[in-house]
Order: sequence, then C-alpha cells, then structure tokens
Amino acid sequence: MAGKRTRTDIIGDMLESVLAKGGKIKPTHLMYKSNLAHGQMTTYLNDLIEKDLIKKVKSSNSEYITITDKGCELVRKLREIKEFENAFGL
Amino acid sequence: MVKLIYSPQWFYGKDVIIDIVSICVLLLIAFFSINYYRIKKNRNYLYFALSFIILASSFLIKILMNINIYYKIIETKQLGIITVVYQSVKSSGGLFYTSFALYWFLTTLGFYILYSTYQKQSMQSFFLGTYLLFISTYFAYPDYRAFYLTSLVILILITINHSRKYIKKRHFTTKLAALSFGIMAMSQIFFILVDAANRFYVIGEVIQLIGYISLLITFIMVLKHGRKEDEDRHNW
Repeated sequence: MAGKRTRTDIIGDMLESVLAKGGKIKPTHLMYKSNLAHGQMTTYLNDLIEKDLIKKVKSSNSEYITITDKGCELVRKLREIKEFENAFGL
Repeated sequence: MVKLIYSPQWFYGKDVIIDIVSICVLLLIAFFSINYYRIKKNRNYLYFALSFIILASSFLIKILMNINIYYKIIETKQLGIITVVYQSVKSSGGLFYTSFALYWFLTTLGFYILYSTYQKQSMQSFFLGTYLLFISTYFAYPDYRAFYLTSLVILILITINHSRKYIKKRHFTTKLAALSFGIMAMSQIFFILVDAANRFYVIGEVIQLIGYISLLITFIMVLKHGRKEDEDRHNW
C-alpha cells in the first residue's frame, strides 16, 4: 500500500491532472482527479495560483483551471525526480 | 612500509584522467540531488548528495597524491638513480601516508553513507558504523586489501539493494544503477589482487571507469525520461 502523500506529491498530482485534461480542467474535476476534499483543494489552489503554477480562467460561463509555463516546468522536474528516485532507490 | 604506487609506469597519469571523469560524474549527480532536495525536502536526497561529494573528495585526494608521486618519480627518473626515487617519496612519507589513510577513510565513508541512505537506521547505529570504519582504516592500514575489501562488501550490499528494487518494480534505470554499482564492486576485486601483478591495477581502474560511465548513463536516462514525458505534454 502506498504511504501518505506529501505536499509535493499532492501538488504534483494536481498539476498532472490538469495536464492529463489537455492543460485545462474544471475545479470539481480537479478535486476528484487529485483525490482531495473541498477545503484542502481550495487551500492548494490558492497556493498554486499565488506561486503562478496555475491560473483560473473563465470560458463559456464556466470557470477552468489552466496550467502555466512555470507549472509545466515543475511537472517536468517532478517527473525527473520520480525517475531519479526509481533509479537510485531513494 | 606502505606500497604507494600500484600503477605500472606506462599507466602513470592515465589513472588521474579516470579519476577526474569519476569526480565529474559524482559531482554532477550530487548537484542534481541537492536541487531535487530543494523541491522535495526529503533528506535522503541530501544524504545521497553528501555521499557522492565525499566520494568525489576522496578521488580528489587520490589525484593530488598520484600527481605528486608521479611527478617525483619522473623527476628523479631523469637522473637515472632509482634509490633517489625511493628516498624522494619516503622523505615526505608522513604526508603521503596520512593522505592515503584519508583517501581510504573517505571512500569507505562515502559508500557507507550511500548504503545508509537505503537502510533506515538510527543516528546511533550510523555513528557506530562510521566509528568502526574509522577504526578499521586506522588499524588495517597500511594493508590496502582491507580497504578494498570493505569497499567491495559495501558495494555488493548496495548492488543487492538495487537488484531487489529492480525485481520489485522493474524500472530500467534501477537495473542500470544496479549494474553500475555491480561493476564498481567488481573493480574492487582487481584492486585487491594488485599485489600479484600491476596490470590488475589497470584492469581495476578501467572497470571502475566503466562503472562510473554507466552511472552517468543511468543519470542521463533519468533526465531523458523527464524530458520525454515533457515532449509528450507539448503535443496536447
């Protein structure tokens, strides 16, 4: 069984979920995809927006979350780290 | 009297190049590991980087010693008096012996920290292990076989650890890392045999170089994997 997710794992899962949906996702979908409760999700979303990793956009009367270039760069780094962990058994 | 020169004459200087390559590989991986620590805040990355930095420092000491020894030998050889060579090295023997002991201790310590990163243990156990390494370096010195044997044992344990992880998760890069450490372990066997013939030193150095190059390839694969998925993302 996988252990408890760290803060970085949760952020990684959120950003990956946005990417998996083509870089644009509805907040409710993101909540389900990243296995978060509403309260947690709001906290993380605000944090990610503040750090310029994602942004909220309005399109056809709905609110969407999109990933920024900085967010994409972080995803790339996190994938690299995961591979590094696998390779060197950390 | 400690034997200071294992290398055959034609190999002088070439082992220095091999060690420089090893240092570059170690520092490169350590640098990235520190960067990853900044993102993940997982101390294992820091210990991993520390072990690689210590190993790189030990190689640096070895290089400085070898350059010094080879320089003195070449310098006196030009005079054509072999006994002067012996005295030249012996005259600063104290410094050489201390450097050798430091090189041996740092190498085994680097491998031990690397091994400890994989095996969760208390701080007390870690310090006990370090103390025992220090004592073994101090008392086993000047028998170089004890040093290479210790490195061999730790490297075998690291290889076994990686192999187990590979069997469990089947990641290609884990297999490559296990192979790299396995090759490094193999090089230690040839270093142990160096007293029988100088060519074993050359074989050991070459195998060690192959080990570090495969470690570099492992690391390049890690980076490539991250970039590959990054390219996939750009296709959406």
